[in-house]
Amino acid sequence: MPVSPAASVPPLSPGEMQLLLSRAGLALNPGQVADLVLAWRQVAGLIASLPRDRPLADDMAYTFRLMPRTPVPAAITRPKPAGTVTKAKAPAARSRTAVKAKARATATPKRGAAKRAGRKSGKRGR
Amino acid sequence: MTGSVPPFLTIAQAGRLIAAKRLSPVELVKDLLARIETTDPRLNAFLLVTERQALTAARAAERAVMAGRKGPLLGIPLGYKDIYETAGVRTTAHSRILADNVPAKDAETVRRLHAEGAVMMGKLATHEFAIGGPAFDLPWPPAHNPWDVRRFTGGSSSGSGAAVAAGLVLGALGSDTGGSIRLPAAYCGIAGIKPTPGLVSRRGVIPLAPSLDTAGPMAWTAQDCAILLDALAGHDPADPASVAAPQVAYASAIAKPLKGLRIGLLRRFYEHDVPASPEMLHMINRAVGTLKGLGCRVEEATLPPVQDYNAVGRVIISSEAYALHEATLKTRLSDYSRVFRVRVLAGALIRAADYITAQRRRTDLIAATAKAFEKFDVLITAPTAGAAPLLNEQRPDDGFARPLITTVANVAAVPSMVVCGGFTTAGLPLGLEIIGPAWGDATVLRVGHQFEQAAGTRTRRPEL
Repeated sequence: MPVSPAASVPPLSPGEMQLLLSRAGLALNPGQVADLVLAWRQVAGLIASLPRDRPLADDMAYTFRLMPRTPVPAAITRPKPAGTVTKAKAPAARSRTAVKAKARATATPKRGAAKRAGRKSGKRGR
Repeated sequence: MTGSVPPFLTIAQAGRLIAAKRLSPVELVKDLLARIETTDPRLNAFLLVTERQALTAARAAERAVMAGRKGPLLGIPLGYKDIYETAGVRTTAHSRILADNVPAKDAETVRRLHAEGAVMMGKLATHEFAIGGPAFDLPWPPAHNPWDVRRFTGGSSSGSGAAVAAGLVLGALGSDTGGSIRLPAAYCGIAGIKPTPGLVSRRGVIPLAPSLDTAGPMAWTAQDCAILLDALAGHDPADPASVAAPQVAYASAIAKPLKGLRIGLLRRFYEHDVPASPEMLHMINRAVGTLKGLGCRVEEATLPPVQDYNAVGRVIISSEAYALHEATLKTRLSDYSRVFRVRVLAGALIRAADYITAQRRRTDLIAATAKAFEKFDVLITAPTAGAAPLLNEQRPDDGFARPLITTVANVAAVPSMVVCGGFTTAGLPLGLEIIGPAWGDATVLRVGHQFEQAAGTRTRRPEL
């Protein structure tokens, strides 16, 4: 069984808790303070368990937005089997878009597009 | 259209019958309203039944069907956790603080479902502001588990879990910050998915902790969740966390067989970090056998301990929830439930440095989790230690004292779903959690669907 990190945190007395709460601008009755003393012991344990030995410059930003992988695997964009219930949104419009996309993919790239593609693939300056 | 309504329809079944004009949406809604009237007093799944709106929407759906419109959600009765804003319909977050709150607009998710012809049956119980429950000092009682009304539904999407399991709605919206979709799914024996953050808009959903909150569907089957996700997923420029991801047809994607899929078994989570009951261990072993039988390769996988994810998640949730409620806590403290106060007031004492330390640690845990998916397509584990505990066994400080396996996926920003994995000898459901890589929602649903089909866990309903 894992040991609760709270076990290593010294308890906070109701008096100490009152001081912290008044600093936070909260007015709690004694019962509410007693509840919070118990909860805070748990939270303090969780905080104490967070590792703090990270290098200073390891975070560029606090964002966690993960970009979707592209292209989407063929298995999940293939035509729907007959009888499968799927989205009802404008299937005709979607298929027209797909036809256009296929046509674009198979057509000879225009000059400008080829140039842009070359730059992207690191051919610039040749 | 015929008037007879078969009992316990899934969304997929009802959609097919409605499309074939063999089931009237109006009759379906009337049937469920009658069931709610007789059953819900024992469950308290609903905070508000929107009977008039439901019948109006059902009639509109029926007219649309007769006019030739088709769609998998046309005329399908749903319920919304009461943190989803609904235009002109009271949205309380199960709290006195918002007891008279009537939003002017629908949440984006609600708008999308209604655009597909779905019918709102009402607003469902939650834990106060999706964290403070189960609480007995609020104007509305907590929801009870349909498999045994003395037992906890799990939370915070408690009414959503109970209403779907009891067949009062065919699907529901829930939200998940540390497990709030998947815990009720596990304890109530249904399916629920916490999608990849950014896939489903959170605009108009009352927040708990914005850097972890996720909106998602709950239903009887993984297939129904996929149908709902088809309508819900999509970029919303008005939600800053929403991502313009490629469109995926989830309901189609789930049909692909699992042969060759690589599955990692997170055994240490439920054998050591949150020790599971013997019946849960037995169920997981059987689930592994079922997945191997479907052609999957199952090997043991490891991630950092559940406690590491929980320390990060709990510090973030308490800090962000306190910040959101600070002004109201100072003026209306006694209007919140005791459970809410215990879980959120600690946020007043967390230092900014500790909050940021938690966010920095989160980057490590995201990276460690992502690395596991270099070797595996999905990970599986037990979402809970066992079946639903008794409602009166819940403690206000549970959120801090007992680590949740489900919180791993919230902190790691990956999709995760729970499906019904089996039952205890007492007839209580046991959940199976399936975790995928970021944007691997379709694979997660696919594993859930194929497992349900092979394991045969969708034939048993609670007796009420």
